[in-house]
Amino acid sequence: MVVFIKYLKSLKRFFLGSGLFLVWSVFCFIFSHPTLIAASAKCELKRPIRFAGLDWDSNIFLTEVAKFIVEASYGCETESVPGTSLPLLAGMMKKDVDVMMEVWLDNVKEAWNKGIKDGSVVNLGVTFKGAVQGFYVPRYLIEGDKKRGIKAAAPDLVSVSDLPKYKKLFKDREEPEKGRFYNCILGWSCEVINSNKLKAYGLDEHYTNFRPGTGAALAAAISSAYKRGKPFVGYYWEPTWILGKYDMVMLKEPKYNDKDWSTLIDQKAKNPVGVAYPVKDIYLGASKDFYDQAPKLVSFFKAFEVTKDQINEALAMMEEEGLSHKAAAIKFLQKYPTHWKSWLGATEAAKVDEKLGQNS
Amino acid sequence: MFPKELQFSLSRPINDVIDWIVVQYGESFERFSDFLLTILIFFEDLLRDTPWWLFLSVVFCLTFYISRKWTLCAFICGLFFLIGVLGLWDKAMQSLSLMLVATGFSIIIGIPIGVLLSRSERIRKVCLPLLDVMQTMPSFVYLIPALMLFGLGKVPAIFATMIYALPPLIRLTDLGIRLVDKDVLEAAKAFGVSNREKLWGIELPLAFPNIMAGINQTTMMALSMVVIASMIGARGLGEQVLMGIQRLDVGKGTEAGIAIVAIAVILDRFTQSLGKKIKSSYS
Repeated sequence: MVVFIKYLKSLKRFFLGSGLFLVWSVFCFIFSHPTLIAASAKCELKRPIRFAGLDWDSNIFLTEVAKFIVEASYGCETESVPGTSLPLLAGMMKKDVDVMMEVWLDNVKEAWNKGIKDGSVVNLGVTFKGAVQGFYVPRYLIEGDKKRGIKAAAPDLVSVSDLPKYKKLFKDREEPEKGRFYNCILGWSCEVINSNKLKAYGLDEHYTNFRPGTGAALAAAISSAYKRGKPFVGYYWEPTWILGKYDMVMLKEPKYNDKDWSTLIDQKAKNPVGVAYPVKDIYLGASKDFYDQAPKLVSFFKAFEVTKDQINEALAMMEEEGLSHKAAAIKFLQKYPTHWKSWLGATEAAKVDEKLGQNS
Repeated sequence: MFPKELQFSLSRPINDVIDWIVVQYGESFERFSDFLLTILIFFEDLLRDTPWWLFLSVVFCLTFYISRKWTLCAFICGLFFLIGVLGLWDKAMQSLSLMLVATGFSIIIGIPIGVLLSRSERIRKVCLPLLDVMQTMPSFVYLIPALMLFGLGKVPAIFATMIYALPPLIRLTDLGIRLVDKDVLEAAKAFGVSNREKLWGIELPLAFPNIMAGINQTTMMALSMVVIASMIGARGLGEQVLMGIQRLDVGKGTEAGIAIVAIAVILDRFTQSLGKKIKSSYS
């Protein structure tokens, strides 16, 4: 018994000593942690705002722009939830994600309409206008490139219906009798649409439907082909650094119409009819929960809008100078102050200015 | 914050070097990858074109020849049958062929390196940290440059798989040979055994259980890479898992996951009984 009490006493001493140290370090941590100081501006939410961390560049860039502003002016903490469109959209309906900077409505039509219908998600207006998607080939394949000594390998390639003629050019080394069509990233909605398009254009007999597992793999395939002046045909979209940096031509497809489009987005479509992707506006989505809880933040997100050229410019700069998304976001804010100030009230804008000053 | 003046970025020079290699040597890398591809496609076609009943009978006979156990044969064939029932036969064959080729190359490369390591302390000191790097470096870091050189698809997948799966085989071969009883070697020396005879007649047979454990490990690790491999466009079970995750189709992902586990169990039991068989034939 005596031994036990002695033991307890020594334990107590030990905890007193280490406890004091612990308190001190927590104290230090709290007062040195930047986000907690910033939180004095008082955010409408008591928890961090959760952005949808869609993994393509333009979305990460726009998320960083929005994060910078809400952190600086509204004193909120932020975080990104990584994932792809459909899972994150499902997360938004279940209140696990607050804001999605880029909702590509046509690609996630079913899920989005369902969310709007049951009132779990809200459309906060346009993020940017005129997003383009389609099948691309490098320009040197059609026109050649004198500077790099590349001859035009496919001078008559204009539309998707010309592709069967050129299947030897785009040879898939894993199945040499076919060409290789680089589809969109596995599991994205555009992958379903493109697979249906291949069927609709009768390309599935001539081309393998090659689905890269990640965006990085697709980007690497394009840039490796481009740097060597090799053939490439596949899906890509704008705004991206790839299309900002490399000179690519979009192949012609039949004009968009709603009726045929509905056959393309159906995963089990038997007789899909091919039409071009609609040039559409990209929207900002939020969960209803967030919409109700944070009216001030919502009005900011409603005002948030950039142009496609601004994004292209930022992404190309990011790639060329090797900047992080966040650094590109800060450069964007420094370059277009009048643009983003229109999204904010005067006091909020001043706070962003102040934080930008600290960062430059 | 770490002082800015002391920061130095490696990313620029590394990018430049990769770009330069891609432009300068892209062609020769592509030719090499075509060579690998022919071997791979041969195996894949063989596995995929074999009718399922023939495949099962061959597996059954092979397992029986090795293990002499009816239960094991039935168990292994049952698992393959399960994969077929799940509708994943073709995908499983694709993954299996990729994995077998990667494991085959790993064995061809790994065992000699392991022997080399056990011979020289110096080589060992250089190689061991390298093996650590191979096992811990996140695979995407070398995947992206590999696919810029070899093109998207199966070849970079084989490379990634080998980089990850090779180390245990090298380590265990090295360990196995080191653990051979010194007295036995001494005795052999007394009989005037040549170096080659020593290696083939004494060291390798005695190290065999360890080497077999290494091969077993390598197979398992190669299998665990199928999902990563699918991220760079290798078709097969990994593709199904990835699609299941990205479309939130948990059922589909689980089905493919079950198939991967089934293959793992099959290969594990198979290599284990192969090890026992060879061991018993030695003694």
